Amino acid sequence: MRKLTFLLACLLLVGVGLVHAQSKSISGKVLSSDDGQPVIGATVLVRGTTVGTITNTDGVFKISIPGNAKDLVISYVGMKTVQVEATPDIIITLASEDKLFNEVVVTAMGISREKKALGYATQELSGDELSTVKSDNFLNSISGKISGVQVKRNTNIGGSTNIVMRGSKSLTGNNQVLFVVDGVPISNDNFNYVAPTASGSQSTGAVGYDYGNAASDINPDDIESVNVLKGAAATALYGSRASNGVIMITTKKGKMSNTKRVGVTINTGVTVGFVDKSTFPTYQNKYGAGYGAYYDSADGYFLLRDINGDGVDDLVTPVTEDASFGAPFDPSKKVYQWNSLYPGLPNYKVATPWVAAKNGPITFFENPVTYNTTLSIENATSNGSYRLSYNNLNQKGLMPNSDLTKNSFGFNGSWKVTDKLTASGTSSFARQSMTGRNSTGYNDNIMSSMRQWMETNVDYKDQKDAYMSTGRNITWNPSYSSETDLQPIYWDNPYWTRYQNYETDSRDRYMGNLTLDYKIADWVSVMGRVTLDAYNQQMDERRAVGSVPTTFGLDRTDQGSGYYRKDVNFNEFNYDLMANFKKNITDDLNFTGLLGLNIRRTFNNSIASSTNGGLGSPGVYSIQNSAGPLPFPVETAEKIGVDGIYGSASFGYKSMLFLDATIRQDHSSTLPVANNTYYYPSVAASFLFSNVMKQDWLEFGKVRLSYAQVGSSAGFDQLNDSYSVITPFNTPMSSVGGTKKNPDLKPENTASIEGGLEMYFLKRRVGFDLALYKTNTTNQILPLSLSQTTGYSRMNINAGEIQNKGVELALMLTPVVTKNFRWDLKINWSKNDNKVLSLIQGVDNLQLGSFQGNVTLNARVGEPYGVLLGTDYTYANGQKVIDASNGKPVKTATADHVIGNVTPDWNGGLQSTMTYKSWSFSFLIDMQQGGDIFSLDMYYGLSSGLYAETAGNNEFGNPLRNPIVYNNPSVGFASGYASTTGGYLNQGVNVSSTGVITPNNRRVSATTYSGFGYGAEPNKAFIYDAGYIKLREVSLSYSLPAKLLKGAFIQGLTLTAVASNPLIIRKSLPYADPESGLGSGNVQGYSIGSLPSTRDFGFNVKLNF
Amino acid sequence: MKKIFITILSAALVFMSCQNLEDLNVNTKDPSAVKGETLFSYAQKNVVDQMVGTNVNFNIFRFFTQQWTETTYLDEVNYDIVTRTIPGNHWNTLFRLGLKNLDEATKVLTATPVVLPENSIIRKNKLAEIEIMKVYTWGVLVQTFGNIPYSDALDVTKPTPKYDDAATIYKDLITKLNVAISKLDVSDEGLGAYDNIYQGDASKWLKFANSLKLRMGMVIADYDQPLSKTTVESAVASGVILENADNAALKYMANQPNTNPLYVDLVASGRSDFVPANTLVDAMNALSDPRLPFYMSQVDTSSVANVEKLAYVGGEYGFSNTFSAFSHISKKIQQPTFEGLILDAAETEFLLAEAAERGYSVGGSAEIHYNNGVKASILYWGGSQTSVDAYLATPKVKYTVAASGTTWQQKIGTQAWLALYNRGWEAWQEWVRLDYPVFVAPSTAQSEIPVRLIYPISEQTLNGGAYKAASAAIGGDLVSTKLFFDKH
Repeated sequence: MRKLTFLLACLLLVGVGLVHAQSKSISGKVLSSDDGQPVIGATVLVRGTTVGTITNTDGVFKISIPGNAKDLVISYVGMKTVQVEATPDIIITLASEDKLFNEVVVTAMGISREKKALGYATQELSGDELSTVKSDNFLNSISGKISGVQVKRNTNIGGSTNIVMRGSKSLTGNNQVLFVVDGVPISNDNFNYVAPTASGSQSTGAVGYDYGNAASDINPDDIESVNVLKGAAATALYGSRASNGVIMITTKKGKMSNTKRVGVTINTGVTVGFVDKSTFPTYQNKYGAGYGAYYDSADGYFLLRDINGDGVDDLVTPVTEDASFGAPFDPSKKVYQWNSLYPGLPNYKVATPWVAAKNGPITFFENPVTYNTTLSIENATSNGSYRLSYNNLNQKGLMPNSDLTKNSFGFNGSWKVTDKLTASGTSSFARQSMTGRNSTGYNDNIMSSMRQWMETNVDYKDQKDAYMSTGRNITWNPSYSSETDLQPIYWDNPYWTRYQNYETDSRDRYMGNLTLDYKIADWVSVMGRVTLDAYNQQMDERRAVGSVPTTFGLDRTDQGSGYYRKDVNFNEFNYDLMANFKKNITDDLNFTGLLGLNIRRTFNNSIASSTNGGLGSPGVYSIQNSAGPLPFPVETAEKIGVDGIYGSASFGYKSMLFLDATIRQDHSSTLPVANNTYYYPSVAASFLFSNVMKQDWLEFGKVRLSYAQVGSSAGFDQLNDSYSVITPFNTPMSSVGGTKKNPDLKPENTASIEGGLEMYFLKRRVGFDLALYKTNTTNQILPLSLSQTTGYSRMNINAGEIQNKGVELALMLTPVVTKNFRWDLKINWSKNDNKVLSLIQGVDNLQLGSFQGNVTLNARVGEPYGVLLGTDYTYANGQKVIDASNGKPVKTATADHVIGNVTPDWNGGLQSTMTYKSWSFSFLIDMQQGGDIFSLDMYYGLSSGLYAETAGNNEFGNPLRNPIVYNNPSVGFASGYASTTGGYLNQGVNVSSTGVITPNNRRVSATTYSGFGYGAEPNKAFIYDAGYIKLREVSLSYSLPAKLLKGAFIQGLTLTAVASNPLIIRKSLPYADPESGLGSGNVQGYSIGSLPSTRDFGFNVKLNF
Repeated sequence: MKKIFITILSAALVFMSCQNLEDLNVNTKDPSAVKGETLFSYAQKNVVDQMVGTNVNFNIFRFFTQQWTETTYLDEVNYDIVTRTIPGNHWNTLFRLGLKNLDEATKVLTATPVVLPENSIIRKNKLAEIEIMKVYTWGVLVQTFGNIPYSDALDVTKPTPKYDDAATIYKDLITKLNVAISKLDVSDEGLGAYDNIYQGDASKWLKFANSLKLRMGMVIADYDQPLSKTTVESAVASGVILENADNAALKYMANQPNTNPLYVDLVASGRSDFVPANTLVDAMNALSDPRLPFYMSQVDTSSVANVEKLAYVGGEYGFSNTFSAFSHISKKIQQPTFEGLILDAAETEFLLAEAAERGYSVGGSAEIHYNNGVKASILYWGGSQTSVDAYLATPKVKYTVAASGTTWQQKIGTQAWLALYNRGWEAWQEWVRLDYPVFVAPSTAQSEIPVRLIYPISEQTLNGGAYKAASAAIGGDLVSTKLFFDKH
């Protein structure tokens, strides 16, 4: 808090002038009455003038005062202001005001406000809370620390993090939080995010990469503090962008060090990760390759080929098959496996024992190692300050050949040009380079092979050796249509995939602003600011000659090799002009006001190209190296402009009653002229009842109430129809667009009402902040799915209403405080009830995403956002109906049954921090209750016989996969099952054609694939609870005590040991992390071929000079 | 100071108000106007791709008549058409990519001003050719599903279009086809290079339209005999496709995305999903059919190592098959430029044979047309006249011999099925109408062999009211529901 208030003190000093010539100079020191420590950054003003300074890190100030001046006014946020006579070497003691309750926070538009005056909920995090336990994406560090914010990270390297506040409000639009850095919104585009109009995008599980989200360019070490503005009243000044909540980031500014010389900080650490085995499959180890017993050999499990040339056919693994429903393992049986088919391999023409792989898929993973170093240099004088920082992050991923490197430079400076004019600016440049992101989705994803389609007899170390020794795509899964046909059929050698078919991408990000503050008078100042946020991103995808053909390139056709490149060029300019007013109308009534305008222009250009029909020359990855004629590149050029005018007025009465009102007018380029100017109002009130009640037990009590309307505009080009140009087929071709545009769109509107209660008791050792809210988002701009008999697949309309109602509770406890020991607990809990109230007349379902297996994600009237629809069990008399002919459950005929919902019931976090002298220990438990996830991995993986569940024994003690045996084989089922029977029995009932209900006694035969998994159960069977309890962060740090460093060159040394995600305490989703979805965006609740999660352990050293 | 502030503020306000923000929202990369012909090209390609492809998500009709089967993944051969939303993909491709673009092509061409007098004839031909393509596409939809949105369709102001009666639509299509035929002027050009079937040749379009009319006439033979008869006879009088040279076939190119979609599914994908089914291969082996080498490859059936014994072997329909143990789809079919046939002389001749059997006056006996059909098919696939003659002389083939079947449905049905190899939808339709040959569904099948596709799941969710009414009107949305023309 001190740091923050210091910053604010700097800000408040805008316009505080310096003294010249005929003045006398005096110095002094400011101490705190609490602990006798120096007060850093206290404001020292010559009364009645604008002459002033601030205290340095020793609490010392030196000021030149005009000859006629007499008194000094010393103030510090959180302490009572004092007025003293100016005498040399004066020592001033400041008494603490209700320190906590005068906390100043940064609110919308970068305005600092006293927290107690706010009529809406905010919650803060310090930079340390985000940067102690680091992640490659600082967004992940917010998880569990703020109530009402749902953070869903995933396991993709450099992947995107889904961050939604107070529930999804927009049916199909962006629901991601807005990030504002030093008062300026920045891009958090997700490159995996594709609107549901484009079927087969990465976000719905088609082949592709999660290219991360752009806010991850921010270096957590540069963050001074984060303030989370949750409700619409808090964010209404941002107008069209405010509907999803705002995360305000304040970056570090230069500070004066104790030694008065330039302060240097080095913060460096290393983290090593280990696969969390609970998020990776447990394979069965009893059966090998095959889909059943229908191949050439007598037992049906093997191919017969004369491999060794002795004229007698030999047993050969059915290598084409990517399932494990084959022969039972038998070490005495010698079989020619994949590695005996390739000349040059040590086992060429050598039969090996038929056993489960010694080195299973888990041996494929490497331990990810992350190095992270930040170096910063800073200084401050009464005339200005600067801070320079450099960060280097290098992360080696879980899979071979994955590497993420980030280098960023930051500058933050301010200079007092004249008494009244201050210039300041920030500038940062970040370059991120990535090699080998993991592919996601179904096709061409090593993880979907490991989780759905593989042979348990394949030894991954042998695969590694085969690739490493030859450099060729020697796969376990060749076509083998003839003995010389060793072209891979479904799966490449995974090492070939990693070392040959890798992607690369890079992003250069520039962010910066120039600001001029001018203090016109005591009560009014004006600020002008120009901001740029820009990046260039290049994404390259490769496919080497000799790979399995898969969906690749622009046309998304099957290509055996190729090169794809996409370049994105984004820039956004914000021009702001803002006047701040502050006036005490009477002693009891004060006023602060704001009047501003914002001009925003966003340009987003991209071009994508790819080769066609493969590469001309192998190994040359360029567009011109295309084997066939090029498909038309896809170019986009989006331009968006919004002009906003806004104002706010705040009144405070006796520091007890506060009233805020804001209004913003937006004029947006993306809406039709008739509807493109609109208003967003808000009002908020708060009342400090503790100032009236004056009870001993109650330190602080506040109620607050607010109402606001915010909304969003349309995306680019949603109004007018255009045609799509198609790659020519002899002659040019074109098509009517898939989505019918709408020239009459209106802005979306979110109306929100919020109330809150904040109280502290027992000398502030117990406190809570409770918020209740309700938001209704209406007039949603959405691409409504249409019956394609209309000629369109979608139509842009304004319709629909989503309601979010919720409770957020933050509980602060300090169970123990002694002289040397302190224990703080912070508990965050939030519950959001989301409901789709309406769509469009006559339509009660809107499809948001469509997964494999015919499971869809939908917004459905009367249900929470994000219901999963699919096939369900059917029931009779409350019991599952089982098909009497095959023993499998009878599925519903249609796939439109509600089988789950992705929205969690509640989220919570428990943060505990204990400090003892120079030691600090903290941990964070993060939890989600409820929310469903569809596992395609289980859907297919059970069916292909990979998992342990498919190789157990039945109630007779016989292997499940043994055939069904009847007492009398010639009579069959009617004679009953023999005690030697295999298969399994589903509990439920049979319903005869005449409707007679009898208990099921027909067993399911599980001798071939589909005995389990998708062939045996409806979609509902693969819906799992996505809830979890995770030990998210643990850290132990030790700071060298100040007295040991006295006089030393080193000013501070902190050693920290951290663990990130060391333990998943509870989860229901088998073999995978319920958080590991495809990426951020509206399509959630789909577990498909994700990487396992890692337990990360790290060590960090922070040095100050 | 205040003055400066006010000046800056007003300057900014002026800047804001002067700029025309709306100009930013212009898509500068995609055209707002195109030539109608370009829309036709795309529609035609999509419709033909859908009809000839074998992607398991789009077209699985080859399985319904057991010409092909699957090797490892057996959902579709067991008639699971829901998991992959196959009806929806068939429906959406034909409605949105096909009919919508054809409709738009008509609109754009109609709105394009005619400059020279001769252009009006060309435009008339263009519009007639587009119309014929539309009738073709609508016809496929009606025959596949039954009642469908028609009068309300392709109109976004009616987001939940009602379904019209299938028979009524079908009759209206015949009327529209007659009008289109009457507008074709064979003395002049049509769509030219934009038409990848006939290069706009109006005389060939006339033959195609008449053949389509013949087919549509025969489809309703059991439903409305008088209309069937007049439709068929007038089509024949005006001239149908009798030579392979007049076949309606899309000429594909060597490179994706403009290859035959079979190339994508069979070759480019690198997969081994399909083999000819034993039902077909056994039947052809029994006839020593000369088309076998053009339809599929041989496979070594010797159980002795290093001794080759080549034969045509089909995979067991509906069950797991090891790819390497069975005949494969022929190399001819796997060529990227293999043409996409949607109507040909063989099909026409078999329809004429049927018409003759039904007593329609189509010139020539059923036997002549049957023989012509067999001949056209063998020659089309690359067989010789000698093999045609020998084949037709075989007792099991010879029309007038009992061995070739006891009823004309049996005789024509069997040979049409063999000729319509690789024409999954057409072969299936002939089977639905003639009920021959007899196919046995695998024991693992999820349903009977479909005689129609169920409506797309998306219609249930997006157009529920109209869907329910249509479902009731046709007697239930089931694969076993017989459509209006399917009387037997």
